[in-house]
Amino acid sequence: MALKGLDIFKLSPKKNCKECGSPTCMAFSMKVAQGAVSIDACPYFSEEAKAAMSEATAPPMKTIKVGTGENEMSLGGETVLFRHEKTFVSKTRYAVSLCSCMDDATIEAKLAEIPKVDYERIGERMYVEMVYVNYSADAGKDKYLDLVKKAAGLGRVLILGCPDADVAKEAVALVKDTKPVLNGANASNYEAMNAVATEAGVVLGVQGADSNELYDTVAALEKLGNKNLIIDCGTTSIKDAFATAVQFRKAAIKDSNRTCGYPSLVNAAMLAKGNAHLQAALASLFTMKYGSIVVMEQMTYAEALPLYGLRQNVFTDPQKPMKVEPGIYPLNGADENSICVTTVDFALTYFVVSGELERSGVPMNLIINDAGGLSVLTSWAAGKFSSSTIAKFFQEQDIEGKIKSRRLVIPGKVAVLKGELEAKLPGWEIIVAPNEAVQLVKFMKEITA
Amino acid sequence: MTLFDVVFSGNDTVYGLTESAINDAIAKYGADKAVAFPDTAYSLPCYYAVTGTKVGNLGELKEALGVVKTLMTREQKLNDAFMSGVATALCAEFIEVLKYMDGAVPYEAPCYGHLGDPVIRELGVPLVTGDIPGVAVILGAAPTAEEGVALVKSYQAQGILVTLVGGIIDQCEEMGYKTGANVRVIPLGKDVTSVVHVVSVAIRAALIFGNIQPGDAAGLMEYTMKRVPAFVNAFAPLDAVIVACGAGAIALGFPVITNEETFKVPKSLIVQKDVSKFNATSLEARDIKIKITNIDIPVAFASAFEGEIIRRGDMQVEFDGSRVDCFELVTTKDMSEIEDHKIEVIGPELDGFDVGSKQSIAYVVEVAGKSMQSDFEPVIERKFHSYLNCVEGLMHTGQRDMIRVRVSKETFNAGFRVKHIGEVLYAKVKSEFAAVVDKCQVKIYTDAEMCTKLRHELATPVFEKRDERLNTLTDEGVDVYYSCIMCQAFSPSHVCVVTPERLGLCGAVSWLDAKATNELDPQGPCQVITKEKVIDERIGEYEDVNEAVKKFSQGALEDVSLYSIIEKPMTSCGCFECICGIEPLSNGVCIANREYAGMTPIGMTFPELASMTGGGVQTPGFMGHGKHFISSKKFMKAEGGVRRIVWMPKDLKDQVAERLNATAKELYGIDNFTDMIGDETVAEDPETLLAFLEEKGHPALSMDPMM
Amino acid sequence: MPFTAKSGKFSAKINTVEIGTGDKAIKIGGENVFPFYTFDDAIANAPKVGIEITDGGLANEPECIQKCYEGCETVVDMAKKAVTFEGVDFLSIRLEGGDPNGENKSTDELIQLVKDVADAVDVPLVVCGCKHVEKDAELLDKASAALEGRNALILAAKEENYKTIGASAGLAYKQVVGAESAVDINLAKQLNVLLTQLGVDGKSIVMNVGSAAAGYGFEYVVSTMDRIKAAALSQGDTTLQMPIITPVASEVWGVKEAMASEADMPEWGCQESRGVDMEIETAAAVLASGSNAVILRHPESVKTIKTLIAELV
Repeated sequence: MALKGLDIFKLSPKKNCKECGSPTCMAFSMKVAQGAVSIDACPYFSEEAKAAMSEATAPPMKTIKVGTGENEMSLGGETVLFRHEKTFVSKTRYAVSLCSCMDDATIEAKLAEIPKVDYERIGERMYVEMVYVNYSADAGKDKYLDLVKKAAGLGRVLILGCPDADVAKEAVALVKDTKPVLNGANASNYEAMNAVATEAGVVLGVQGADSNELYDTVAALEKLGNKNLIIDCGTTSIKDAFATAVQFRKAAIKDSNRTCGYPSLVNAAMLAKGNAHLQAALASLFTMKYGSIVVMEQMTYAEALPLYGLRQNVFTDPQKPMKVEPGIYPLNGADENSICVTTVDFALTYFVVSGELERSGVPMNLIINDAGGLSVLTSWAAGKFSSSTIAKFFQEQDIEGKIKSRRLVIPGKVAVLKGELEAKLPGWEIIVAPNEAVQLVKFMKEITA
Repeated sequence: MTLFDVVFSGNDTVYGLTESAINDAIAKYGADKAVAFPDTAYSLPCYYAVTGTKVGNLGELKEALGVVKTLMTREQKLNDAFMSGVATALCAEFIEVLKYMDGAVPYEAPCYGHLGDPVIRELGVPLVTGDIPGVAVILGAAPTAEEGVALVKSYQAQGILVTLVGGIIDQCEEMGYKTGANVRVIPLGKDVTSVVHVVSVAIRAALIFGNIQPGDAAGLMEYTMKRVPAFVNAFAPLDAVIVACGAGAIALGFPVITNEETFKVPKSLIVQKDVSKFNATSLEARDIKIKITNIDIPVAFASAFEGEIIRRGDMQVEFDGSRVDCFELVTTKDMSEIEDHKIEVIGPELDGFDVGSKQSIAYVVEVAGKSMQSDFEPVIERKFHSYLNCVEGLMHTGQRDMIRVRVSKETFNAGFRVKHIGEVLYAKVKSEFAAVVDKCQVKIYTDAEMCTKLRHELATPVFEKRDERLNTLTDEGVDVYYSCIMCQAFSPSHVCVVTPERLGLCGAVSWLDAKATNELDPQGPCQVITKEKVIDERIGEYEDVNEAVKKFSQGALEDVSLYSIIEKPMTSCGCFECICGIEPLSNGVCIANREYAGMTPIGMTFPELASMTGGGVQTPGFMGHGKHFISSKKFMKAEGGVRRIVWMPKDLKDQVAERLNATAKELYGIDNFTDMIGDETVAEDPETLLAFLEEKGHPALSMDPMM
Repeated sequence: MPFTAKSGKFSAKINTVEIGTGDKAIKIGGENVFPFYTFDDAIANAPKVGIEITDGGLANEPECIQKCYEGCETVVDMAKKAVTFEGVDFLSIRLEGGDPNGENKSTDELIQLVKDVADAVDVPLVVCGCKHVEKDAELLDKASAALEGRNALILAAKEENYKTIGASAGLAYKQVVGAESAVDINLAKQLNVLLTQLGVDGKSIVMNVGSAAAGYGFEYVVSTMDRIKAAALSQGDTTLQMPIITPVASEVWGVKEAMASEADMPEWGCQESRGVDMEIETAAAVLASGSNAVILRHPESVKTIKTLIAELV
C-alpha cells in the first residue's frame, strides 16, 4: 500500500523553502506520493523519515534499467495487476532473436531485416528495441562472439542468452558498456553467472526447469546480493511460461513476495519455434499479461503494426485519455477545396470518427482541435471545445489561409455551438453532423453529393 | 340478484351447454375420438395452462369438464365469482374446440376463430416490447355502426391490437371497415364463446414469454395481470353469459368497460355511458401509455437546431421575461383534472402580434401520474430549454420567470404557432418522462394581463416553495441517498454519494435530480442508498453507504465518509467543479475551481490538484466537489465546516459569497465571512496568505490543528 | 523453499452457455478463475473460435480471404467450406447487407439466406445483425424464428432494441441472446438486468461488451473485460456472470493496417500477413482479457488461435 501524500507531509520539514522545486512542502509531498518526484529532492527530510518512507514506498516490483543513452529503458516497476487500477508503467519491449546456430546468410538477412520496422505512432517511436543473441554450444565460442559484435552493430539493447559462464564472460566484455542483459543463470551455474554479471554491472536473467527451481535460484542470487535480475519464464511450454509470468507477478504485487518482484522475459521464439503466427499471438498475450520482454524470431510490419498499437493502448494512464496531435488531417485525397470536418483530439474519438470518414470516401479536411484530449461532450463541458476555442484554433493554425472551403461540419453532440460559431467564424457555413459516428458515412455522402 | 348471482347463473348456463355438447359429441364419435385445436403445441391452451393437463380426446374432455365443475363454487364471495368466470372461459374453450372436430373449418372470413402458435409468437414480441401497447376485446354491437367503427379505429391508430366478438363484426362489415391480422383488427367469431380465442392468446403469451409452467394458475394470473395489457369493451345489453365471461376476464386482470348501467367494481367493471370515451377510460383503467413517436409541428425538430441563434432582424416575435411577465411551469394535478393532450391557447395567437414585437407568454404544463411527485416538477421543467431549442427557428433561453423565446419569421411562415409549443412540450414530456407522467395537458397564455396575474399568483409562490424546499432539505431529513456512477466510463472505481446537502461533485446532479433519474431509469446510474446503520455520526459514515460504495465500485472502495476530507474522504472522478485541499500553514483549506488558471497557496494549480485527486482514489486532505457544496452546512463538517475555508479565487468567492456568508452567520455567527477569505489578489503563497488571515482574524487560525 | 502461489480460485463462476445442438454443440463459460489461469483451477470450457461469413459473399472479402474459398460461388458454398477449416467451432453469419444506410437488402432475402446456410451446416450458428438498431430488431426477430430449434446465438440485442430481440430470441424461440453494449461495465450490466427483467433466462445470455482492433482504443476493451470478470468472479455479481463473445473479424478487417494494399504501402509488405496478424493479435488480447469465444474471418487466424487456446488450457 503506497503512502498517501498527507502521511508524507506529516514527516516533511514543513518549511516551504522551495529548494526541492515545489512551492510548498504539501505540493512536494503529494508529488512524492504520486511517484512524480523522488524524496531525495528534499534536503531536509530526516534520515529516519527517509528510511521509514523508502520501506513504505518501496515498490513491490523492482524497476530494472538496461541500455544506455537514448537506448536506456526501464523494465518492471509495476504496482498493479490490472491497468484500470493504475497505469502500467514499463511497457513490454520486443526483441528479435539471433542464434549462433544460424548460417551466415540467415544471420545477415536477419541483421538487415531488424531495422526495417521503424515508424512513429501517436508520438511514439516503434521499433525493435532489443536483440536476443542466443549461444549455441555446437557452433562454438568464436562464432558467438562474432555474432554478438555484429548484433551490437544494430545499436539495440542486447540480451545475451548464454548459460556458459566462460563464454558469457567474454561476450559481456565486448558489449558491457551498452548495459545489455545476460540471460542464462540457472540452478547449476548461478554462482559463476552471478560473478560475470555483477562484475560487468549488467542485469542477469534467471532460468529454471520449473517455477520452484526458478524461485529458489532467484532467492539464492538475492542471497549473494544480486537484485539486478530478470525472470525468464522458461521454454518448456506455453502453459508453464504463462503460469510463471502471471504467478510471479501476482505474488509480487498481491503477496509482497519481493523474490518474485522482477521484470519477466518470455521467449516466444522458442515457445513457438518456426510458427510466426503463433508467436504473434504469444507476443500479444504476454503484452497483456505481464511480459516485460518478449523475444520473437521476426518482427515484420505484419507483427508490429497491431502489436505496437496494442502496447500503446495498454500502457496508458487509465485516467488520461490518449491524445492525437491537433492539426489538419486531409482524408480521402482532400485538397484545399474540400469540406472541413472538426472534432476533438481524444484518440478514441479520432480513431472512430476518422475511420467512418475514411469509409465515406468523401475527400475532406479533418481538423483536430486542441481539446485537452477529452471527448466531445466532456471537453465541451470543460470549456475546452467551445466556439471560442475553435475560433482561436482556426486562427492559430491559419485554417482560412490553408483551406479555401468555407463549409465546416461540427459534431452533433455540440449542435449548441452552431450559432456562436457562425458569429465567430464569419463566412463559414456551419453544418451539424449526426450524433453518432456510424451515421457519418451516409451523412457526408449526402451533404457533399 | 347480486352481481355474484348473475355470474353464477351465466356460468351455469354455459356449463349446461358445454355438458350437452360434449355428450352429443361422444354419442356421435365415441370417447376415444381425438379433439384438438389446429397449430398449437398447447392442447386446449386455457385448460392446459390452468391445470397442467393436456386433453387429447373426447373422453378426456369429459373428465376435464368434471374438473371445471369443481371451480364452480357458489358462495357469495369474490373468489367464487372469479373462479366461476374462469370456469366459464374454460367451458367456452371446450365448446369452441368441439367446432374443430374431425378437421372441420368452423370459421370463415372475416372471422379467425382459433389463432395458431406462430401468430402468438409473432404478436407476442411486439406485445412484450410495448410496440403493441394493449389488446382490446370488443364484445357485442355498439349503439351505432359508426360509433363501433370509430372505437375500433381509435385503438388501431394507437397501435392497439383489436379483437372483435359478436355484433361489432357485422358493424365493421357494414361500414366496409378493413379487418385482418395484418391491420391488427382481428374478428374472432360471432358466438360469445369465441372470445376464448383471445384469452387463449393471452394465456399462451404467458406460457411462451413468461415461462409460466402449465398448472401454475396463480403465476398465470399474475402474469396476465401484470404483463398482458388487455381489456374488454362490452356493449349493452349484457346477458348473464357475458357477465360470467367478464368475471373470467377480470380474474385474469383485464378490466371490463361497458355502457350498460350495471354493477360497478372499481378498476374492474367500469360503466362508461359515452362510447366515445371508451378509449380513454379503457387506457386509464388498464394503465396503458401510448408512445409518442412524432411531434406534430410544421417545422423540423432535431438536436441539430439546438445551437441556432435567431437575430433581431429575423424574428417574427419575441417573448422576453426580462421586460414583460413571462414564465414556464410544470405543475402536478389530479388524474381527473387532466384531459390528456389538451392544448389550450389563452390569448392571441402569433398572427395577432406585430412583427418584431415583444410579448408576454406563460406556459403551464399540467401533469398527472401515479408515480408523479412534485419534486420532479423542476427536473421536467429544466428540460424545456433543450426541448424548445430543438425546434427549427425557435430560440429559448433562461428558466422559470426569466425566459426569453424568439420565433423566426421563416418558422412563423411555415405555419408554426404558439400552440405548437404546447405540442412539443406535450410530446417530449410524455415520451421522456413516461415513467412518471401518465397524463399531460398544456395551457399557454399570451394574454399580457393573464401572464402578469398568473406570474404573481401561480408561478412565484411555486418557485418560492421550491427554493424553500431545497433550502430546508437536509441530509437528516431524508431516508435515502443516491449513488451516481455516470462517470465510471473513465473513472472506473468512482462512486458519488449524492445527499440533499452534498450534490454530485460535477455540480450537475442534485439529490432531487438523482431521485428523478432513479425513478425514470431504475436500472440507470443513480441507485437508492439507505443510511440506516450509522458508524460514525461525526464524519458521516454509514454501514449501508459503505456497502453500496463497495458494490458500485466493484470492490475498489471499502468505505467513505460523507463529511470529512481527511478521514475516508469521498473519491473524485475528474469532473469536479472545484477541489479543496489542506493548506497546513493556515490550518485551513484552499478551494480552486476549474476555471481558475493560476497558482494556489497550496503550491499547486487546479490541473495539478486535479491530477492527484481524480481517478476514483481516496486522497486524504483533498477532495473534488461542486460549487454549490461550498456553502453547505455539511461542507467538511467533521473538520469544523466552512470556517476552515481560507482561500479561493475571487470569481468563485463572488459566486458563492451570499450563500456562504449566510451559512457562516447561521452556524458560527460570523458576519461577512468571505471578507476574511483570501484570494489571488491577496496571496498565491502560504506565507502572505497567513499574514492576511492573521490581520483579518480568520477563525481557522484558532481552531484545532487539522492534522 | 519452493515457490508457493496463493490460489486465485473463486467461489463464483461464469455461467455455462450451450450453443447449437447435437454432437457439434459447444459450451462456453463455466470457469471460476481468470482467463487461462489453469494454475488456479481447471478451465471448465476452453474458449471457442468461430469463423465469419457475410451475406455479401466473396465479393465482400479481401482478396486474401477470397482465395481461401476458391471454387465457392454462393454464400451457402462458403458456409459449407468455412466449417471445414481447421479449428472452427462455430459459424457466424453477419447480415451487414441489411443496413439501410448501405445495401439495404430486404429482411426476407436475408432470412432466406440464413435458412439456406443453416440447412447446409450442422455446426452451432451465430447470426449477427447489420449494426442498425431498428433493422436489427426486425432481422434478428425473423432470424430467431427461422432458426427455431437450432439453439443459435443471436448477436445482438442492444439497449435500443433489446425488448424485441430479447422477446423474440430469448422468449419466443428459445435461442441464446447476445447482449451488446459499448465498452462500459455499467452499460453491460444494465442490459443484462433489463433482459432478465424482460423474462430472458440469464443463463442463456452471452455478452458482446464491445471490441476494437489492437491499437484503436483497445485499452477500453481490456479494462471493461478485466472489470467485468473481476466483478463476476470476485464480487460474485450475477448480473455480469454471462460469458463474453467478441466479434474480432468485423473490427480488424476494416482498419488500414489490415486493409491497405501492398501497392499503397510497399514498406508494410504483404497485406495478407498484416490482416492475419491483426486478427490474431487482437483475438489473443481479447482472450487474455476474458472473452469466452471469438469470431474471426481468416482460416489461418482460426487455426492459430485454436492452437494458442489448446496450448493454454
